Amino acid sequence: MNDALLEVEELSAGYGEVQVVWGLSFAAARSKLTTLVGANGAGKTTTLRTVVGTISPWSGRVRFKGEDVTRLSAHAKAARGLVLVPEGRQLFTNMTVDENLEMGAFTGRGAHGYATRLERVFTLFPRLKERRKQKAGTFSGGEQQMLAIARALMTDPEVLIIDELSLGLAPLFVYQLFGTLKALKEDGLTVLLVEQNVHLALAVSDYAYVIAEGRLFTEGRPAALAAMPEIRRAYLGL
Amino acid sequence: MLGIIAAIIDGVLIGSVYGLAALGLTLIWGVMEVINLTHGAAIVAGMFGLYLLANAVHIPPYATLPLILIGGFLVGIVLYWISVHRLMGRPPLMILLSTFAVNLVVIGLGTAAWGTDLFNVPVSLPSVTWGRYTFSGTHILAAALTTAIAGALYLFLYHTKLGKAVRAVANNREAAELAGIPTTRVLSLSFGLGVALAGAAGMLIATMFPFTVLSGDAYQLKSFVVTALGGLGNPAGALVGGIALGLIEGFAGQFMPVSWTLVIEFVLFVAVLIIFPRGIFAFRRA
Ligand SMILES: Nc1ncnc2c1ncn2[C@@H]1O[C@H](COP(=O)(O)OP(=O)(O)O)[C@@H](O)[C@H]1O
Ligand SMILES: [Mg+2]
Repeated sequence: MNDALLEVEELSAGYGEVQVVWGLSFAAARSKLTTLVGANGAGKTTTLRTVVGTISPWSGRVRFKGEDVTRLSAHAKAARGLVLVPEGRQLFTNMTVDENLEMGAFTGRGAHGYATRLERVFTLFPRLKERRKQKAGTFSGGEQQMLAIARALMTDPEVLIIDELSLGLAPLFVYQLFGTLKALKEDGLTVLLVEQNVHLALAVSDYAYVIAEGRLFTEGRPAALAAMPEIRRAYLGL
Repeated sequence: MLGIIAAIIDGVLIGSVYGLAALGLTLIWGVMEVINLTHGAAIVAGMFGLYLLANAVHIPPYATLPLILIGGFLVGIVLYWISVHRLMGRPPLMILLSTFAVNLVVIGLGTAAWGTDLFNVPVSLPSVTWGRYTFSGTHILAAALTTAIAGALYLFLYHTKLGKAVRAVANNREAAELAGIPTTRVLSLSFGLGVALAGAAGMLIATMFPFTVLSGDAYQLKSFVVTALGGLGNPAGALVGGIALGLIEGFAGQFMPVSWTLVIEFVLFVAVLIIFPRGIFAFRRA
């Protein structure tokens, strides 16, 4: 795939002696929404953490815009536009909405055009604008997810990676967030999404990878995957 | 009665400086959950910094304060890389031991250089008379400078981007890294700040009282008592706890010899830890 902005090749990773990810390869194409789906414990979060650099890979390569960024630290990757919204939001709970957003724009990349981007983020999430001085820790799950995405957008990502967008959120919220992602994608953003909800993932993505026990099970366009008997049985309960 | 009120006010003035020292300890804990056992050595270094700069280089005593703050900051950053960085994420005891080892080396070198003689830096400031009370000018100025430093720290942490990054790292280090904040550099900077505060407190203490190379232990203990009172990791609590400790010292000094101060403090330390393990003045962490 030549229009792949992010390419992951033969990635292996784990914790201590325990290997979790086994030679996984996938790519996120420019201005597309790519999903990694798989059961709880399949190694999706570990994969993302290895890709952005909060844990080190055992082997394999991560390429971003053609450049090998495998060994860069997470903050250096963020500064280049490879940005993760981690599982469980991970906000600065003791800090206000404004401060969270300001920290999202910590890098030179994020600081450039700060005011314009802030306006854009508040247009996408008007609820945040109403609560600029409120501490993030006082927010509901849905508002926290909004703020987590907003903070990541303040970094001016080229690839926005989101781990478990829908987990613990009311369906209406999830629907809204997917609408927002779609709009961002149409503006050129590349999105890589991890979802446990396979129905949802297949409904919204342009391309999907199915991961089982740390290995690639299969990949393809959503329609093709949804037609596969093993996928229907194992993930869609059909 | 008059004596007691004067002693209490004086205790508050001195106590604010204890609070400044404890602020250094509590800042490092709040950001990285490390107990810095070079704290006492940093306080002593501030005392001897004043002594050397004022006596040997003839810099006016209070002009040494910015130099000691800057020097303490730089030394603290070096100390972070030497004694803390590689042990982050390992069992906490290892950092306690490594910072304690550095403390021993510094105190050992200090003892070799100056012995354990009592030093005194003559600072002549007019005292201030208020009604029937008279207060030492050095105590008043020490409290004023402490307030200024604490205020500057507040402005840094709440109104600058870098200061907010320090709070972000304290709040959630992984999220800070993901937001593009170079967290390791922020940790070293925070350690530098903590050491700078301890050094500044040492310098201010040395304008008020005589000291020896070994004074660090007693003041380090005071910092622990203050953080026990104020809640570890809580900057406002450190200042209030420091003032409370100074007040207790001033009050107790009216009824018993000064040599009992350490005993009282140690008893207080243990009692507070048992009765209020999260600190008496432990406001909800901001
Ligand atoms: N910090 C950790 N230390 C050790 N094992 C972990 C850690 N995080 C996850 N694991 C293990 O790695 C495996 C994959 O977890 P994870 O990557 O979180 O999967 P997923 O995100 O697909 O649910 C699981 O078996 C989990 O128990
Ligand atoms: Mg996960």
